[in-house]
Amino acid sequence: MDIDRLIKKDEVHRDVYVSEEVFGLEMDRIFGSAWIYVGHDSQIPNPGDYWTTRIGLQSVVMTRGKRDEINIFYNRCPHKGARIAEEGCGHTNGLFRCPFSTFNLDGKLRGVPYLDGYQDTSFDLTDPRFSLRKVARVAAYRGFVFASLAEDGAEFEDFLAGVKSSLDNFCDRAPEGTVSVAGGVFRVVQRSNWKIFFENLNDTGHPIATHESSYRAARQYSEEVLDGELPFELHIIDGNGAPPKFWSDLDLHAFDYGHSYMTAIFNAPDDPLSQQYFASLAAKVGGDRAEEILAVNRHNTIIYPSCSPHTSFQQWRVIRPLSVDRTLVEIFTFRLDGAPDELLQRTFTYSNVVNSPSSIVMTDDVHVYAECQKGLSTQGGDWVSQHRNAGQDQPYSGSEGGLIGVGTSELPIRNQFRAWHEYMSEGSGQSVSPEAS
Amino acid sequence: MTSVNPQPINSASDISYEMVCHFLYREARLLDQRKFTEWDNLFAEQGMYWIPLIEDQPDPINHLSLAYEDSMMRQVRINRLNHNRAWSQKPRSRTSHMVSAIVIEKICDETNRLVVGSAFQMAEWRSFGLRTFAGLYTHTLVVSDGHLKIGEKRVDLIDSGEAFEPIEVFI
Ligand SMILES: [Fe+2]
Repeated sequence: MDIDRLIKKDEVHRDVYVSEEVFGLEMDRIFGSAWIYVGHDSQIPNPGDYWTTRIGLQSVVMTRGKRDEINIFYNRCPHKGARIAEEGCGHTNGLFRCPFSTFNLDGKLRGVPYLDGYQDTSFDLTDPRFSLRKVARVAAYRGFVFASLAEDGAEFEDFLAGVKSSLDNFCDRAPEGTVSVAGGVFRVVQRSNWKIFFENLNDTGHPIATHESSYRAARQYSEEVLDGELPFELHIIDGNGAPPKFWSDLDLHAFDYGHSYMTAIFNAPDDPLSQQYFASLAAKVGGDRAEEILAVNRHNTIIYPSCSPHTSFQQWRVIRPLSVDRTLVEIFTFRLDGAPDELLQRTFTYSNVVNSPSSIVMTDDVHVYAECQKGLSTQGGDWVSQHRNAGQDQPYSGSEGGLIGVGTSELPIRNQFRAWHEYMSEGSGQSVSPEAS
Repeated sequence: MTSVNPQPINSASDISYEMVCHFLYREARLLDQRKFTEWDNLFAEQGMYWIPLIEDQPDPINHLSLAYEDSMMRQVRINRLNHNRAWSQKPRSRTSHMVSAIVIEKICDETNRLVVGSAFQMAEWRSFGLRTFAGLYTHTLVVSDGHLKIGEKRVDLIDSGEAFEPIEVFI
């Protein structure tokens, strides 16, 4: 397939969203090689704990072994082929069991029934061929575990470089310096291509139109019942109706490998709970350092092509492509270890409003994605525009490097497609650099 | 809508099984008729609408919930459902509730509360087709100013941990 024909400098061909063939290649060349988020080590605190999820279309199991090490296996019994673990979290007492065989936590085949019958055959309990197959590479940063299905490719450190500061800030906000998954997982299915969701995450052009029904509904209640006051929940919903200047005044930062982040749309709150939290942080790291940590205030960070942390509300979205026109988004919430319980409760409140399948905000996003998917499937036009503020992005002089653009630029989208192009170009082996324009 | 008993209710023990059944049927019917504000008026002032995310979820505060809505959040949801730019409500949801197996589980005269369990199914038609929700309701009903009101409506979906397409109307 000629990938080059699908990408122009500021437009992409609709086939990138609707072609089954392109989707198949993406599973191979992007999800089969890039560093993909698998889970957080707090999901498997003890030896024998496991977390089953997907890398692209591959079911994988992240486990904690006897010596505390983290392994990630393909979810497939190498003996007869059954899956060894259900989706989600679980615990096993030292052995994985499928209906046909048992495995040690390190993936070695422990036993099969009627072992006598395997004498004088090429079946061998100690042959790695009959052990659980490990994914090619596993790496973690501050508890966030990523894996690559390819032996070769970018080093994890290089891959993460641009957005490492977001992960640092995510954890530095905790008085203990660590975070833990808490409160369960929201799972939302979208009838659209996975890239449409990524494009939306840092797109500030859409809220005022897409979310009109929810911010108007919140304002109506506020005016009719509360004299214009906006409690926390309504404040979050109201934010989408901010005027154009608000959005263009934000900064967008874009980095190698398709990553980006947007500066925050909410100021750090200053209510009694926030002050109590600040005190808990300052008690551990000192007041100056606490202020420095909280001054890093970001909205969505994108770690392309698998996840998006929200550092100031402790949310973490994971994007799992299901098919060319189906995408699963999983939303995790984190406890800041050492912070007051009420802060975690506010994290849940935020997530109930914004990230639950019943969110009155997200539902309009999901609808619009599906409408894009339907429209792109017609012959009404081959190209999709990404022109907004093209050619105006500048190299960023700060230590993180990368490019910077105004808040309403489509820089993050163009940046994602530069990475997409690199991943998809067979045997390119080149570094994935966003070109300053 | 006529009430089964025109007499004011003084305490939880004044409430008959028939009154409870009628209350639950009426509640479901108001939702199916999209009379959301009338439905919301069935709630007591502090009444909550709760869809837990996990089975046997002990509380709505220390865990995520599919929904945990007070009067404010219910009314904002209603405002949105009635807004003409609610893109995902074109065409708008149509629902049909079936409520059954109604059991009065607890009556407490001191607090004037009843706990009522039931089973339900809700079919919903949307632009992407027909889908079904199924589960158990637990209504905590309170007697307030001579009326029966909802103190809490808990909706335990049998597939609460599943991946969902957006849920917009009340279940
Ligand atoms: Fe949105």
